Amino acid sequence: MIKISAKSIYLSLIVYLILNSSPIHASDYKAYGFIQPEMSVFFNGKGRHGQKNTNLSIFGKGTFISYLQNDDAKFSINILGRYDDNDRELRYLDFQKLKYEYFFDDLEFKIGNDIIFWGVNETFNIVDIVNQSNLAEDLAGTKKLGQTMASLSYSHDYGKFDIYLMSNFQERSFPGKNGRPRLSMEIDKNTVTYESSAKDKKVDFAIRYSTVLDDLDFGLSHFYGNNRAPELKPNSSTLKFDPLYPILSQTGLDIQSTKGSWLYKLESISAKNGNERHFSAAGGIEYTFYGIQNTQSDLGIIIEYIFDDRNNNPLNNDGVLGLRWNRNDIKSTTFLAGLLIDLSGNSNRLQAEFEQRITDDLKLFVDFSLNGNINRADFSYQFKEDSKITVKIAKYF
Amino acid sequence: MKSYIFSFLIIVICNVHTFAMSDEEKGLKIAKDAYDSTRGYVDSTSEQIMILIDPKGNEVIREISGKNFENMDPNDGDKSLIFFNKPKDVEGTVMLSHTHVNDDDDQWLYLPALGRVKRISSSNKSGAFMGSEISFEDFSGLDYRKYDWKYLGEENYENEICYKLESYPKYKNSGYTKRIGLTDQLLRARKIEYYDRKGDLLKTIYFEDHKLYNESIWFADTFKVVNHQNDNITIYKWENRLLNTGLNEKDFEKSSLSRLTD
Repeated sequence: MIKISAKSIYLSLIVYLILNSSPIHASDYKAYGFIQPEMSVFFNGKGRHGQKNTNLSIFGKGTFISYLQNDDAKFSINILGRYDDNDRELRYLDFQKLKYEYFFDDLEFKIGNDIIFWGVNETFNIVDIVNQSNLAEDLAGTKKLGQTMASLSYSHDYGKFDIYLMSNFQERSFPGKNGRPRLSMEIDKNTVTYESSAKDKKVDFAIRYSTVLDDLDFGLSHFYGNNRAPELKPNSSTLKFDPLYPILSQTGLDIQSTKGSWLYKLESISAKNGNERHFSAAGGIEYTFYGIQNTQSDLGIIIEYIFDDRNNNPLNNDGVLGLRWNRNDIKSTTFLAGLLIDLSGNSNRLQAEFEQRITDDLKLFVDFSLNGNINRADFSYQFKEDSKITVKIAKYF
Repeated sequence: MKSYIFSFLIIVICNVHTFAMSDEEKGLKIAKDAYDSTRGYVDSTSEQIMILIDPKGNEVIREISGKNFENMDPNDGDKSLIFFNKPKDVEGTVMLSHTHVNDDDDQWLYLPALGRVKRISSSNKSGAFMGSEISFEDFSGLDYRKYDWKYLGEENYENEICYKLESYPKYKNSGYTKRIGLTDQLLRARKIEYYDRKGDLLKTIYFEDHKLYNESIWFADTFKVVNHQNDNITIYKWENRLLNTGLNEKDFEKSSLSRLTD
């Protein structure tokens, strides 16, 4: 999320680049996006912090891509934003991408905001570390905020090397007081501390090597910088969490093997967070039945497991059993369901997403989040009453 | 007179040669010659429009654009990029394929909503492409290496004498058991009937709007696909097709996908 001063700089940069690029190559750009009203209904009435049992929100995204300088360069914008009726922390604009890239034959140079995804898993993306998580959108951390960076990439027959320097650290966004689900206490934005003396001005560093060897997709990465995940310390006088961002040094490995209808996936990290070292591994399998019962439908089964040697980590011995049904019809009907099971405490939660195109530029999404049995000691106990259904309709333009 | 006798001898020799071939060998030869006549395009770019028509006559439109890179390796397949433009909710999606002759392809999909490139299983070559009546398998349906062939004779089609060829897929995950096709004297496929895994007639692809590209290669710019089981029709059109445009093979690698996406 962008502060106002930086936002105005970015906006003027966009206006400048649009004015200067589009008249020259009028056909050399693409612009598209969507706007999506959403409504949620919670099944258990009011929340434990008094949050309402319904919520309205408007979400949107816009993408602009233009090739410049005889297609040797690309300028892209990807902006998303939300206006949420109940939660102030979900009223934001974020430049997911606002970047200029220049392509040499084997080299690529990039400057600006980008989203960098590392990893292979469907659920437990432990290697993915470059971008800050937007927990206000999704407590599982799959939604990210744009990260300002300069990067250089070199590709050769034996693989690709990427080097990143990152600035403009963004604090993790959490649901606010009226957000639902939310943590048991609010996050105090005024008491943020850093292990690094440079605080949020610290320049973070990352490097990655990735390659494809027949059916293997392989990646090895290292990150050194402010941890994207703060430690949250309860403050007994303010009754809020005080966030502390340690310095993280994390090495990650991700491998996928694709053998016919089988996908085998593994991610692993070894990390030093502050003074403590930890290890985590997550992986699984995915198998797809194609053309089930002589229809065009595909049914995929996903099983993933995560281990973390930190006993206090919410995901330390957890599994996911997922189903993906793809009707392959004219409406692109799909249904995805995942049952998240805490194997040390037998808590479980079900998440499901249904989507179907209504017309060429309208699409319906229905998301379910259902809490089953949840142990009092489990991290997700604080969201126990937050089972909900969300209906979204996206209008594309 | 001498040259007349000479020509006569050649005709006799050719006929003897053809007679000496089995129907399988003759079918393979025609299929191979037909396929070889479409090679040498080096690379290509095109826009593609699909009109999906249901039995009630309702139409929806799909738009993609494509890039292809010819693989000179006689034992391997071409590389392709598909950029999805319509329907609008898939705009920005890009699919990279490294095709293989009788094995699963290597495929990567960039999904803008997730912002990630996924290596996907390609065992579904026979699945519906974007909800249409055409499958990924059909795009390489003229590659003779993917089938066993049999010559069935000649048949008149639209006032032209065509070779009638039967073919059986070698690929274990093929959606078909058999195809029966007509190939004309210019070695252009005119129509192919497809039989499903149960052996029933599934669909017919009519190859239309044949155009001679770069004065050497015939391509059908329209595939009309009629499904005989559900009565759906797909009209698949190529527009602005250009060959030998000077594309770089490196653009067809996973590591280059970020150059082509948002």
